[in-house]
Amino acid sequence: MMSTKAFTLVSAVERELLMGDKERVNIECVECCSKNLYVGTSDGFIYHFLLEEKALPAGTATFTATKQLHKHLGFKKPVSELRAASALNRLLVLCDNSITLVNMLSLEPVPSGARIKGAVALALNENPVSGDPFCVEVCIISVKRRTIQVFMVYEDRVQIVREVSTPEQPLAVAVDGHFLCLALTTQYIILNYNTGASQDLFPYCSEEKHPIVKRIGRQEFLLAGPGGLGMFATVAGISQRAPVHWSENVIGAAICFPYVIALDQEFITVHSMLDQQQKQTLPFKEGHILQDFEGRVIVATSKGVYILVPLPLEKQIQDLLASRRVEEALVLAKGARRNIPKEKFQVMYRRILQQAGFIQFAQLQFLEAKELFRSGQLDVRELISLYPFLLPTCSSFTRSHPPLHEYADLNQLTQGDQEKMAKCKRFLMSYLNEVRSTEVANGYKEDIDTALLKLYAEADHDSLLDLLVTENSCLLTDSAAWLEKHKKYFALGLLYHYNNQDTAAVQLWVDIVNGDIQDSTRSDLYEYIVDFLTYSSDQALVWKYADWVLQKSEEIGVQVFTKRPSDEQENSFNPDDILHCLQNYPKALVKYLEHLVIDKRLQKEEYHTHLAVLYLDAVLQHKPSASDKGAEVTETQAKFRRLLQKSDLYRVRFLMEKVQGAGLPMESAILHGKLEEHGKALHILVHELRDFSGAQDYCLWRSEGRDPPYRQQLFHTLLTMYLSPGPSTPELTVAAVDLLNQHAREFDAAQVLQLLPGTWSVQLLCPFLAGAVRDSIHTRRTTQVALGLAKSENLIYKYDKMKLKGSSVRLSDKKLCQMCQNPFREPVFVRYPNGGLVHTHCAASRHTNPSAPSPGTRT
Amino acid sequence: MRKPDGKIVLLGDMNVGKTSLLQRYMERRFPDTVSTVGGAFYLKQWRSFNISIWDTAGREQFHGLGSMYCRGATAIILTYDVNYPQSLVELEDRFLSLTDTASTDCLFAIVGNKVDLSEEGTVESLEKEECGPRLAGGNCESPKVPKQVQLEDAVALYKKILKYKMLDEKDVPAAEQMCFETSAKTGHNVDLLFETLFDMVVPMILRQRAQGPPQTVDISSYKPPTRTKSGCCA
Ligand SMILES: Nc1nc2c(ncn2[C@@H]2O[C@H](COP(=O)(O)OP(=O)(O)OP(=O)(O)O)[C@@H](O)[C@H]2O)c(=O)[nH]1
Ligand SMILES: [Mg+2]
Repeated sequence: MMSTKAFTLVSAVERELLMGDKERVNIECVECCSKNLYVGTSDGFIYHFLLEEKALPAGTATFTATKQLHKHLGFKKPVSELRAASALNRLLVLCDNSITLVNMLSLEPVPSGARIKGAVALALNENPVSGDPFCVEVCIISVKRRTIQVFMVYEDRVQIVREVSTPEQPLAVAVDGHFLCLALTTQYIILNYNTGASQDLFPYCSEEKHPIVKRIGRQEFLLAGPGGLGMFATVAGISQRAPVHWSENVIGAAICFPYVIALDQEFITVHSMLDQQQKQTLPFKEGHILQDFEGRVIVATSKGVYILVPLPLEKQIQDLLASRRVEEALVLAKGARRNIPKEKFQVMYRRILQQAGFIQFAQLQFLEAKELFRSGQLDVRELISLYPFLLPTCSSFTRSHPPLHEYADLNQLTQGDQEKMAKCKRFLMSYLNEVRSTEVANGYKEDIDTALLKLYAEADHDSLLDLLVTENSCLLTDSAAWLEKHKKYFALGLLYHYNNQDTAAVQLWVDIVNGDIQDSTRSDLYEYIVDFLTYSSDQALVWKYADWVLQKSEEIGVQVFTKRPSDEQENSFNPDDILHCLQNYPKALVKYLEHLVIDKRLQKEEYHTHLAVLYLDAVLQHKPSASDKGAEVTETQAKFRRLLQKSDLYRVRFLMEKVQGAGLPMESAILHGKLEEHGKALHILVHELRDFSGAQDYCLWRSEGRDPPYRQQLFHTLLTMYLSPGPSTPELTVAAVDLLNQHAREFDAAQVLQLLPGTWSVQLLCPFLAGAVRDSIHTRRTTQVALGLAKSENLIYKYDKMKLKGSSVRLSDKKLCQMCQNPFREPVFVRYPNGGLVHTHCAASRHTNPSAPSPGTRT
Repeated sequence: MRKPDGKIVLLGDMNVGKTSLLQRYMERRFPDTVSTVGGAFYLKQWRSFNISIWDTAGREQFHGLGSMYCRGATAIILTYDVNYPQSLVELEDRFLSLTDTASTDCLFAIVGNKVDLSEEGTVESLEKEECGPRLAGGNCESPKVPKQVQLEDAVALYKKILKYKMLDEKDVPAAEQMCFETSAKTGHNVDLLFETLFDMVVPMILRQRAQGPPQTVDISSYKPPTRTKSGCCA
């Protein structure tokens, strides 16, 4: 067991001061009450000293005792016990089985001569039952066999309040409230003198052993148990603390929180009540008194008086920490909570936790360290500052003084062990990452994030990028220099971007792509840059790098214009500027125009025409090798045709000129269609291309949204073309039949029948004819129904009209208003459902005048 | 110091492994122990309750402290060594009377420790035959020997305890539930033992809370000291 220095032993009263050279006189008892020290001697004297304490810088103190008085009480016997009752200004002196009350200062017995007779031992009740402040409760072991007496002691009188008999002869007593803790001959018991109830604690053997009963606090006692144990027991007879292990022959015990002090022939031993361990041993020969008085511990031999001066708890804790006994230090600190003012305690305890944290940290006990740092609310910068170069150069941080640990930096702490160093760094990474978003980081976010960035960069850690793309407080100059040093250029770009220096960011990334600097963080950096520019609202920046991205790849590069966020409203790019820029990038140009025309549906003739021309150029370019129609050509051609069909904005004639003679019949047909030249268009389709389904589609396309006659007209034109005289091929006939059968409804059957050659069988045209007949019948029937309905509707109206005419009102001089009984002067009146007529003004007043007769209710 | 809500006390002869069981459970290890002096205790947080577990000293010298440790106990673990029949006998002769001070509804568990030393169940590790006979106990590699105390013996003791306490078998947990065979060395059944007890102790704590004032033992209801059972000349 490693020892702690909890106490120092200093002399209080030199022997010369007491009895000079009277060899045979011994100290029998002592009492200490604030500065008053009393000593009772074997020759019946009481000495009174004033104790002067002088604190020493090391945390201890020295004492000087100045003698005030000494007095003999007139007994031949030794003074066996002294007890001060400062509230009464009395000293209780037990001498020759009698307790005398003497004045604390003059040592004169009280004039009343009040005393307690027949006492063997006494105990003061420090937890008195009566609320009277001018009274102390005293318990005595009586000279009467097996008897305890309880007295109230006043300034100059005493009063017995209780006498209890005990099962065996009591040898020692302590008292708390109504509870007596007694050492009997064979056992310790708790006895409630109020109720008489008693409770065994445990047996011991008084023949072998001097019993000790010592009140240590509210309702708790310390007892000398078997096997050299210091046992704790409450008034309820239970033990709430584990025993301490003394030596076998303990003479006296005292308490000085959190320590239990015991005296034997050779030593003073100090145990902690917090962990039951022995903390200190002081050699002390021939001691025979050990007592504590209001926190002051006094030991005495028969010749001299000494004081055990406790070292301040903080000093003890610091000593423990210095020897890396973290657990004990914390236990001691926690135990001290009750004895130190709250504010002071918290400051102290926090500091201890932090120190303990650093001790654990230095032993690479990171989990424990973290918990201690957290509970000790450590300023993280204390930890960061251990790592060289991590704190920003501009940080105002200075380590707390006195220092929390002994280390200059991590190098010293790990003694250059790289593996340990790496572990420490990993710990700091995870720790900072954990605390950066908590209140621990308040006020030092810059320091934390910058340190974290540095750690990540150095360790090539993925989280570096996460840190930079999310909200962070990394300081620019410090971080930039560090990233550059570790060649983290991509990350550096992110840092610039976060600090609104996009130009610098992009330039850096461009340099990486160009191979001017090396950083392999992203293999898709080019795409990243394009994406970045796409979402950048900085036009100048986009223009600056537009050529660069387009040169790298027209298709991808053009995305900086085509994929811009749709919500980009104000100061958006002018398409003409972009078109101008894209002049040298044909593929990009097409893509951009497609974007304008198809995606954005810009209704501007130039864009449509321009796109159509570009398509045409592309189609023509690939024309020479027409024999092997590449997929791409057809794709462009398809796009071209779609544009020609869908758009109404391009300059049709301009394109027609270009298409004509270029061997693009389909395109020509579409353009003819646009010009409403259906005959020409269909001619191309039917005769040049022999594309009959194309011709049908053409009719559908061109008649879209037109009225039925227009549509019929168009279909008839086609049919006529199929049936027109000439080298009529069976192909055309089939096409005509198909057209009729599939689009029966688009034709006027009567007209068609006249056109058809008589040679055609009915069978051939069955679907068409059936449809036509059914249609015609359907039309007739619906028309008949409509006619019938219209007729009956008409009938209803007629009936209504008759009814109205039949009950006409004739207004004459003889007709009087039913309200005012005056004739009508004007042709306006109000008619009630019952037929009554009134003036309009009368009808109006009726509603405001409830007393007026109401004609409406009359029948 | 927070006051514990319930108390569990380990009783049993010296060397049966009380300290070892507690260390195994609380610290998950099996260290060398020294014979306990006086007693020691641990605080265990179980759900929202603080349960104190007292390790007592089995040595005769400290026998007198037992009653006090048991006072107000919610559960008592009576421990013996399965390879040392006398240790079971001692439970009845010497330790049972110490439990008189325990709470009236106190639970009892009987635990036979050091099962790892006996051959039953672990026949496959019966190879070290050359090792001569040794004293019981110790963590030396003893040869496997047949188990000296059977579980039925513990069950019988449990039933005797119920008789002694004048308890009806129907009102208390069944013997099978309360008799354990453990090994602090291997950890066998150790968690089961303590956690079964904790789970049983919790409702008792709640019941005690619902009844009278907590933590104060009404000592007026105790018998006067002249009639204690622990008389030595009986
Ligand atoms: N093989 C084996 N040895 C054990 C086991 N439990 C305890 N021991 C050993 O038995 C010896 C006594 O164990 P302790 O736990 O100190 O016994 P105890 O009951 O606390 O004894 P006292 O404190 O004197 O009452 C030690 O040497 C332990 O290593 C077990 O389960 N198996
Ligand atoms: Mg033990």
